Amino acid sequence: MKKYVFSRFGYMLFTFLLIATFTFFLMHTLPGSPFNDERLSAAQKAMMAKRYGLDEPLAVQYFKYLGNLLAGDLGVSFQFDGRSVTSIIGERIGVSAILGAQSLIAGTVLGLLLGIIAALKHNTFLDYGSMIIAVLGLSIPNFVFAGLLQYWVGVRLQWLPVAFWEGFEYSILPTIALAAFVVATIARFMRNEMLDVLGNDYIVTARAKGIRESLLIIRHALRNAMIPIVTILGPLAVSLMTGTLVVEQIFSIPGLGEQFVKSILTNDYPVIMGVTLFYSFFFILIVFVVDILYVLIDPRIRLTGGGSRANG
Amino acid sequence: MRMDDAELHDELFELSGEEGRKKQARASVPSTSYWKDSWGRLRKNKGAFAGLIMIGLILFLAVAGPYMNSHGFDDQNLEHANLPPKVPGLEKISWLGMSGADIRGVDQYEAKAVEDYYWFGTDSLGRDIWTRIWEGTRISLYIAFLAAALDLVLGVAYGSISAYYGGRVDNVMQRIIEVLIGIPSLIVVILLILVLQPGIISITLAMVITGWVNMARIVRGQVLKLKNQEFVLASRTLGAGDARLMGGHLIPNTLGPIIITTMFTIPTAIFTEAFLSFIGLGLQPPIASLGTLVNDGFKMMKIYPHLLMFSSIIISLIMVSFNLLGDGLRDSLDPRMRK
Amino acid sequence: MKWNQRIFGTSVLAGMLLLAGCYGGGGEAEKDSSAGTGDKAASSGKQVLHLAAGGEIPTLQTNGSMDGLSQTVLQNVVEGLFRLDQNDKVVPGVIDDYEVSEDGLHYTFKLKQDALWSNGEPTTAHDFVYAWKKALHPDTVSPHAYLMGAIKGADGIQDPDSPSYGKVDELGVKAADDYTLEVELENAVPYFTELLSHPVFYPQPEEYVKSQGDKYALEADTMVYNGPFVLSSWDHDAKWVLKKNDQYWDQDTVQLDEVEVKVTKDTATEVNLYETDTVDVANLSSEFIDVYQDSDEYNTSLKSEVYFMRINQRNEQLQNTNIRKALDMGWDKEQATKMILKNGAIPAYFLVFPGFVELPDGADFRDAYGDLNKGTIEDAQALWQKGLDELGVQELTFEMLSYDDEQRKSVAEFMKNQLEKNLPGLTIKINQQPNKQKIDLEANQDYDLSYSGWRNDVADPVEFLTVFQSDGAYNWQDFKNDRYDEILKKAQTDFTDEMGRYKELQEAENILIGEEAAISPLYQAGSARLIKPYVKGFAAHGNSTFTYKWTTVEK
Repeated sequence: MKKYVFSRFGYMLFTFLLIATFTFFLMHTLPGSPFNDERLSAAQKAMMAKRYGLDEPLAVQYFKYLGNLLAGDLGVSFQFDGRSVTSIIGERIGVSAILGAQSLIAGTVLGLLLGIIAALKHNTFLDYGSMIIAVLGLSIPNFVFAGLLQYWVGVRLQWLPVAFWEGFEYSILPTIALAAFVVATIARFMRNEMLDVLGNDYIVTARAKGIRESLLIIRHALRNAMIPIVTILGPLAVSLMTGTLVVEQIFSIPGLGEQFVKSILTNDYPVIMGVTLFYSFFFILIVFVVDILYVLIDPRIRLTGGGSRANG
Repeated sequence: MRMDDAELHDELFELSGEEGRKKQARASVPSTSYWKDSWGRLRKNKGAFAGLIMIGLILFLAVAGPYMNSHGFDDQNLEHANLPPKVPGLEKISWLGMSGADIRGVDQYEAKAVEDYYWFGTDSLGRDIWTRIWEGTRISLYIAFLAAALDLVLGVAYGSISAYYGGRVDNVMQRIIEVLIGIPSLIVVILLILVLQPGIISITLAMVITGWVNMARIVRGQVLKLKNQEFVLASRTLGAGDARLMGGHLIPNTLGPIIITTMFTIPTAIFTEAFLSFIGLGLQPPIASLGTLVNDGFKMMKIYPHLLMFSSIIISLIMVSFNLLGDGLRDSLDPRMRK
Repeated sequence: MKWNQRIFGTSVLAGMLLLAGCYGGGGEAEKDSSAGTGDKAASSGKQVLHLAAGGEIPTLQTNGSMDGLSQTVLQNVVEGLFRLDQNDKVVPGVIDDYEVSEDGLHYTFKLKQDALWSNGEPTTAHDFVYAWKKALHPDTVSPHAYLMGAIKGADGIQDPDSPSYGKVDELGVKAADDYTLEVELENAVPYFTELLSHPVFYPQPEEYVKSQGDKYALEADTMVYNGPFVLSSWDHDAKWVLKKNDQYWDQDTVQLDEVEVKVTKDTATEVNLYETDTVDVANLSSEFIDVYQDSDEYNTSLKSEVYFMRINQRNEQLQNTNIRKALDMGWDKEQATKMILKNGAIPAYFLVFPGFVELPDGADFRDAYGDLNKGTIEDAQALWQKGLDELGVQELTFEMLSYDDEQRKSVAEFMKNQLEKNLPGLTIKINQQPNKQKIDLEANQDYDLSYSGWRNDVADPVEFLTVFQSDGAYNWQDFKNDRYDEILKKAQTDFTDEMGRYKELQEAENILIGEEAAISPLYQAGSARLIKPYVKGFAAHGNSTFTYKWTTVEK
């Protein structure tokens, strides 16, 4: 196990380096330049490029960047003059993280509940009801949902703030807007997995042996049904990022998501790199944790990867 | 365990000739009656059947809808801009919102002296929304189907090979996946679209490049779960080759998750496209997709709700239908539910 | 198995704890927002203006890359030699008086002795010298340094091939004493004082700036202010607050106690906030105009921004003048402004817009030639046919670059549709791009037609006309006309005969559009906004910036 974790960690670093390289060169193939402005002549652009070291060959810039990265220096933003990328990420990530985590947790809990109820009451009114909620959650584009929430709950009913991020009540609407997708995804997956598991021989056998139903469901069914859920939690957390971007824009929340798209559209290379690396690191970590969890909770999966062969 | 297997079936067991092979093939590949059964079950599943009919209807309208009236999808007429919907026959029923009256109750057709009927109303350039919505549906479905098909092929192949062979192969393939999944898909999508120029193909490709990974991971997970189960071991013992094991046992038994994932891919693709329109990287005008239409309508939500209403209803119907059908297919295709 | 479960449980628990820690960030923000929902705070007698801004302030360094938002904040918290008043006229800022020499090449500014920075130091001539040299030095060069071209030596300092490259000490500016600033010009440009109202000419107190090092102007408390307001807090990407500056020399004029600006990233949200009385002013995009255009709170203003279509003559087919004229004439500009933009924009048959320049004899610059290349669709079709015949083709296909925002996207779609309908055989492919990418394609002349725009810095026709000088830095379309070049060259160096200069510039504009149709003017941009009735004197400038100095909030 230890060996497995260490080697996986090594791969993580390697992955990270690959991503840095890939993003760096892809980013520089972007059309446009950070200093494009109707009023800048070619000579002035050249001068600006020189000021920020963009006139050097790409390879040189790349190694310089890696060097700075090792020293923990992510560079300075172009669109926000003189502001370091570290501070840009630092100022915004907390907000995005809260929003994302809040939505993921609320959505997962609710989704699991709906999914379990639907599976246990298969083909009943409860099943259909849960699935209708789940399907609706997947059926409305999130910006439309967010916009409608804002207009009806915020402007018409005036129950909750229209926008901004100034306390818990400000986070409710954005969280609902984001969590809808999570609820729907988890509920559907959970329902299917539960149905799968409940149809298995060992459950039938266990039931035949007279194990208490509640124990049966918690001990045997839930545990096995949760395994695939763990695998989709990672991608789900990742896809929340797209959601946070939309929700952050509509509710004017000072998070990282919206900043990210803006940095790409303005060719703000240091910020693109910084944010990509930051998110990548986070994602790789999620994948890593999910894989470890997967092994831990499913005893049937033996470690065949990562250099430690359990059965050789 | 592996090595034991190899020893077992290669040396100790001899197959009973061509006859036995055929028999075995028949037993492991789902037979015609299996598909018939599935179809029967699907028809009994009201939700799934409704979804199927709905998809059929939407497909039909996406093909035929634009030709049902005389307005072209880029016929502009600023005199007819922002008209609410008006449908002959339905116009008499006031609460239906098809009477040509706007949200203030003013009959815009009368006010602007318009003789025509615009079933779904018009947009800010006076274009017929009915025609644009079905043209847009066509484009959106095209993008979604293409992306889903590519995801499916890549993902299933990659995932099952990775899980089936395991060991070094799996290891290398998983490292590659990790790199891909580690990059926020959003950045790849946005960067690629900007590099390739926004358009149908670039949007599809950008989505596929990151999208198939999910399918691959799910298939891998399922195959890993299945490959050591008794029926697979039994088949292997009986001498089934890699291809047969994968094609005959592992993949068919993974169909449920594959179908569900695909049913997710289609809506996801449609939504991703809508999202790209939202951040301004949508299709080049005058081509419209459901995404661009919803996004345009979204901005006019308050004063011309019809612009948002119809496009988002259609997009939601597509989502609902695919989801219902996906669920139904899963229930009816899953071999383990055969009793 | 038990062991596995425990690990699983622990990791879930750890995750939750992590989250609980994170939420502290939200709590802090809560404490910050003492103002809460707008007007309750204001009713205490304090005048507070609540505004929304589209994003984070890009920079507050006068040598940084400033957009409208940066300029808006800067011109409210820092004051230069001149500023724009409510009517976009140039008025003195931190100076008592100034003198210009006979030849118009030497300016002497007398600074106010009571114009103090918020740290108590006086604003001195040295602050200007330091800031201007900084804006030109290669290590700290400003994207707006081109505005300094009129000052002696400025062009050489920016030119890597010149012997004086980077030698900022050769710049024609010096502090004769603490309160006397002397500037020497290359050419006697008549609009120099107007230029000076731009924030790139604002002062930076050297000693303070150096004491802050890298941190200068990155936070509210790493900067000093000498304008009507001080920046009292700056919560990045969320909110900033301006407070009345009680050190400001003209503080009696300033009525507002506080301006609270919140970052609002979406127009619909801004409108919703306006409706719930959270902000007092909301900028409207065209989609919302139909909702509010009958309201008393609805305002429009014209911007000093003209949009036109660049016609790239590197494409041989577009070298045909008749084709170009037909493209300019062949669609309905009136409809586009009235029914699509709707924000007060006016159709353009010109480059130098009406009301921009008044001639010495009182006439408007526009009066001499009137609407250029304005004609009916039939005229356009005749020209088109003639052009096609000359080229010997039946069909033409052009790619049109366009902006990607909603408003301008609709205009592009309308143009495409109209032109294709009116000019048989024409196909236009729209290529909409984010701005940075679009400019790249323009500058590389990788386009046929491009929906483009220009904003002036000073009220002189050369601002617009130099763009199309054949050797100009922005002539991204291979337009060349000897007479045009000759006029423009003269107009930038010879200011002796004011009237004659204007007459020639009028001729140049006629050559550009009337004779050559090198560009197709589209419209002069407008902007629409909602302002609460209790807000008075909200100054919206033509360059898309705002000044709160004269604003009052009376409820």
